[in-house]
Amino acid sequence: MATEAGIRVENLYKHFGKRDTLVRVIEGASFEVNKGELVALIAPSGAGKTTLLMMIGCVEEPTSGTIWLGDEKVYEDKWLTKEQRKIRREKIGFIFQAHYLIPFLNVIENVTLVPQTNGVSEQEANKIAMELLEYFDIGDKAKAMPSALSGGQNQRVAIARALANKPQIILADEPTAALDSKRSVDVVKMLKKIAIEQNVAVIMVTHDEAMLPLCDRILKIEDKKVVSENVSVQEKIL
Amino acid sequence: MINLAQKDVQHTLGKFLVTAMGVGMLLGIVLIMIGVYRGMIIDAQVLLDDIGADVWVVQEDTLGPFAEASRVHEDLRDTVRVIDGVKSAEALTFQNIQLPQKPSPVRVVAVGFDPFGMVNPVSPKRMVAGRGLMRSHYEMVVTDKTGYHVGDVIRLLRHDYHVVGVTHGTVSSGGEPLIYVSLKDAQELQFSYSNNRIRTDRARGIEGAEGHMVNAIVARVKPGYSIDEVAKNIETTLHKGVFTATQERTLLTQNLIKMASKQIGMFTGILVIVSTIIIALIIYTMTLEKIKEIAIMKLVGIPNSMIVKMIAQETLLLGVLAFIFANLFSHLIYSKFPKRVVLEIPDAWMLFGVVIVASLLASLAGIKKVISADPQAAIGG
Ligand SMILES: Nc1ncnc2c1ncn2[C@@H]1O[C@H](COP(=O)(O)OP(=O)(O)O)[C@@H](O)[C@H]1O
Ligand SMILES: [Mg+2]
Repeated sequence: MATEAGIRVENLYKHFGKRDTLVRVIEGASFEVNKGELVALIAPSGAGKTTLLMMIGCVEEPTSGTIWLGDEKVYEDKWLTKEQRKIRREKIGFIFQAHYLIPFLNVIENVTLVPQTNGVSEQEANKIAMELLEYFDIGDKAKAMPSALSGGQNQRVAIARALANKPQIILADEPTAALDSKRSVDVVKMLKKIAIEQNVAVIMVTHDEAMLPLCDRILKIEDKKVVSENVSVQEKIL
Repeated sequence: MINLAQKDVQHTLGKFLVTAMGVGMLLGIVLIMIGVYRGMIIDAQVLLDDIGADVWVVQEDTLGPFAEASRVHEDLRDTVRVIDGVKSAEALTFQNIQLPQKPSPVRVVAVGFDPFGMVNPVSPKRMVAGRGLMRSHYEMVVTDKTGYHVGDVIRLLRHDYHVVGVTHGTVSSGGEPLIYVSLKDAQELQFSYSNNRIRTDRARGIEGAEGHMVNAIVARVKPGYSIDEVAKNIETTLHKGVFTATQERTLLTQNLIKMASKQIGMFTGILVIVSTIIIALIIYTMTLEKIKEIAIMKLVGIPNSMIVKMIAQETLLLGVLAFIFANLFSHLIYSKFPKRVVLEIPDAWMLFGVVIVASLLASLAGIKKVISADPQAAIGG
């Protein structure tokens, strides 16, 4: 397993607003997430977890600092490419608390939309999508509309969608918050498996301490900076 | 590649079709209005074509007989006949009269002509029943819109008129139904007054002075003669108002075109604007309803161009469907209008062009919303 960095962040700052309304969210964060690694990102509500993910995901522009995605430096005090969306759809898989599937597309269309936008042929995209759906035990729902599926099934479709473009990085913002504990464990194990099998760097925001033992490492936002902690032996056993 | 517009429309098909139908009806009315305008221009020329004269001689300094009142003496016909180049000349009258109950009174224009003369305004190709006038008194040919049939008897003033023929599609330049009577009957209808008036006129010694007036003399020109020159010749010789058929046609249509095109143009413009606003509102609300999905698409990296394409295609589809409904609708109802409605293909294509432009304009509000949508809005909090 390669241990090179999938994500590298150096001296990252994020301020919202100006003067009176200035909010300093992140002040000088530096950390790495390796390929093949699943790290949990924990911090109190409002500490800037989503903001941090959105900066790594090339959605929210940082105030200053440097971001590397794999061997591509995407940000150094400014975006280094005009096409952040191209980076997003080619390199990153997003998973959220809610599934956010597109209601007028059926399951397989939801999964193949991004790969097809990337130029993968419909046939090839469908093949990848079917493999993913079968892997998640929802192959028989490929032609169903999201409205006909349960919450858990939709969340699995959403994960399949995040994987369909074969991302180098997965950014998961509280993916298990809406699931019961058994399903939550399943999802996190699944993410771990994907991290290893596909050599993907995964950051997962979670409030659920029970998920931490399943992760390789913990990142915490403390004093507007990011600190890394190993998962303690007790937690691992738990 | 997945066509987002198609998928979205399939998902909200019912609403989409109902909207297209509603807008289609508005656009259908636009087509009908243009059709009414076309019909007016055609109506204006029906009688002129049926009479088929080369030259019209009317009261001096008037634009008669259709645009202005014109009266000339019947004898003028004989004077015109002897002018060089004139092949034949006939006297005609035109007057508004009201036919009695059938089932309600009908206002018509009566054309009076000499049934034994050289000009027969009752075009044989417009006859649908019976025959033309063959006697000099108390026969009448009517157009089918009057509701009368061959054999009907209509009492006008002191006489019974027998309907001997029925025409189809004959109207005055103003679009009213036509009837045809002999010149003598027409003069009687036009200039007979109450017994009282006749007595007072008699006392003044002006009895019957108007009995031999007509509204216009029409002439045909001999082959080999120029119509313009013969017309000029009549004008200088007789000091009457003289118009060639072409001039008369212009007189009849230009005023109409000037007035009606402005009127219809205004209505049409307003309806098109209303349709555009409706399409814009629908597309805008449809966009707002999907704004969360649009934000998610932007977040996962779908380019704006794809999302804008979806909105634009949906708007165009709405416009095209509305256009199709407009044509269906207008063709379904146009024949039910009392006046002539002429639906012409070029007009429909023109509307199609307008609809496409209007749809593209209508999509702008939705597209603006798409571009300004914040990718993080959907996951906010
Ligand atoms: N667009 C914004 N404008 C101003 N402040 C913002 C904006 N987005 C987030 N914030 C602020 O940044 C802080 C971190 O927010 P967020 O990243 O959502 O926290 P978390 O995900 O850890 O709960 C919060 O105080 C929030 O109010
Ligand atoms: Mg958050």
